[in-house]
Amino acid sequence: MAVPADRRLLEPWQDPKAAPYVRIERVTKQFGDVYAVDDVSLNIFKGEFFSLLGSSGCGKSTLLRLLAGLEYPTTGRIFIDGVDVTQVPPYSRPVNMMFQSYALFPHMSVEQNIEFGLKQERLPRRERAERIAEMLDLLKIAPLRKRRPDQISGGQRQRVALARSLAKHPKLLLLDEPLGALDKRLRENTQFELVNLQERLGITFVTVTHDQEEAMTMSTRIAVMEAGQIMQVDTPTAIYEFPTCRFVAEFIGSVNLFEGKVMASEGNEILVEAGAGFTIRMRSYQPHPLGTPVTVAIRPEKMRLCAQYDPEAVNQIEGVVEDIAYLGDVSIYRIRIDEGRLVEMTLTNIQPRTEQALTWEQKVAIEWSPTSGVVLTE
Amino acid sequence: MKRRSWPLLGILAFGYAFLYVPILLLILYSFNESRLVTVWSGFSTKWYGELLHNQQLLDAAWLSVRIAATNATVAVVLGTLAANALVRQGRFRGRTGFELLLMAPLVMPDVIIGLSLLLLFVAMQQTIGWPDGRGFTTIAIAHITFSMAYVAVVVRSRLAQMDGSLEEAAMDLGARPLGVYLQITLPLIAPALLSGWLLAFTLSLDDLVIASFVSGPGSTTLPMVVYSSVRMGVSPQINALATLIVLIVAIAVLIAGFTMRRGPNR
Repeated sequence: MAVPADRRLLEPWQDPKAAPYVRIERVTKQFGDVYAVDDVSLNIFKGEFFSLLGSSGCGKSTLLRLLAGLEYPTTGRIFIDGVDVTQVPPYSRPVNMMFQSYALFPHMSVEQNIEFGLKQERLPRRERAERIAEMLDLLKIAPLRKRRPDQISGGQRQRVALARSLAKHPKLLLLDEPLGALDKRLRENTQFELVNLQERLGITFVTVTHDQEEAMTMSTRIAVMEAGQIMQVDTPTAIYEFPTCRFVAEFIGSVNLFEGKVMASEGNEILVEAGAGFTIRMRSYQPHPLGTPVTVAIRPEKMRLCAQYDPEAVNQIEGVVEDIAYLGDVSIYRIRIDEGRLVEMTLTNIQPRTEQALTWEQKVAIEWSPTSGVVLTE
Repeated sequence: MKRRSWPLLGILAFGYAFLYVPILLLILYSFNESRLVTVWSGFSTKWYGELLHNQQLLDAAWLSVRIAATNATVAVVLGTLAANALVRQGRFRGRTGFELLLMAPLVMPDVIIGLSLLLLFVAMQQTIGWPDGRGFTTIAIAHITFSMAYVAVVVRSRLAQMDGSLEEAAMDLGARPLGVYLQITLPLIAPALLSGWLLAFTLSLDDLVIASFVSGPGSTTLPMVVYSSVRMGVSPQINALATLIVLIVAIAVLIAGFTMRRGPNR
């Protein structure tokens, strides 16, 4: 697939000639017998907002600490801006980190916290004052400058931590669950602010999060991790729409999975036999030999309600509404299609709930298009 | 509170009385005119005046203070180093043994510490000629050996409570390990260092048993003087001296409490 030139600027990973800013080469980190990070290779490009996404204990935080230099890899190498930093201590790396607990120094004022990194660099007093002013201004925390960390709120602390890690003008900023300690409302506002800040400063951000929504909103690319390994690296859209394995499909959002065998291949579409008399037709982006066991993954919002059941139609199936969950903007319907299988479908609540036609125990027909799902082999 | 619980208040009053009435009596009788400690015959400050002319008592007090200060300072340095090793160095080889040996002086009877140190000092004098006789140096060394353990316990709990990511953050911001220690760790454990120092100072100041073993001629500490003079009949001067000590200790405790309270994340 040819990529237009302007897209290469926005998506440097599409450009084979672009040099990655951070290169992680077959890095493994062992703690005793446990492989916290297991043979991970990853390229991160300049100006990216890169997210490491996974459940707790998947090794994402360890990977971030390896980048910061707070841990050293058991094997493998790490390059930042072309320089091998594998054994470089944290205080000599062009990298700063924002800690999950914020780690603000409790015996220093906001201003002194921001100044700390600049003092270590032995910047002259005047320059330090300028940088502090710049950071106070950038994060709108000037009124707090004389306060101590225990005298400000959680949201303000997050800003101070960000200011402190940005004050040194790092090339690469690492953020460990940057929004984890904030309440939901504040989190949503801060997400956009963080992205704006990153775009304005042009700094490469690498964040760690377990919140998929957060990763989807903010990132240029996401790496989904599990058990120390990277399962898939892609843009948020691709991760959601085209997962490459069952784990990623199930980890991000909800999904209906149908297991079956490839029955026939017609052009770029395949037919999958998924139980007695139930055949699924799907667009396939790669050839599958006949008889291959596959899993068809379809997101609940890709399902449509049909006016009437037509046994001849493509990907149409009949069932009974078993469960309805009303979430306000959408409703989730669980539809039993046979003894062992429930299909999940979400519908936007266009009409008020009282006006809705669908109710419990109702017989319905649902369908989906061959292009609105993926065929997984793993 | 609507209903006062009289029995509880009574218990509280009894508890405080048990602890502080003797001290109050001591202070009161330091202003007694009479030569007899137990008979009140009128107000006077003459014992304070006599105290100032009792050279033996003053020398002993000065020696005790010097020993206590030296002991506290050295014990804080060594105890802090030990606490750091226990909290920050992970599971090094022999850690459990180190911990046990460090804490042993806390439960070891004073008599045994004193006796064993006396044997050590005598043996050292015979083989390497140091310490030359017993006095200030030997008492200070003896006090440091057990005070260090108390300091280590106090500093260790403070270090363990401290968020380790603070030190990591400092390193991430460009501070080298020594810089991290001086700029972040030390200020944050300072309250523990101060209380450790005061604890070591007090322990040394009122030690009688160990000092009796390892002191020599001409190096009599204050508790030793007090103890021997009590056996020959108490002079009200001792009351006056004790009152002054209570005053100094009270001020020190107030200062310590105040700094602890002002310290961040208490």
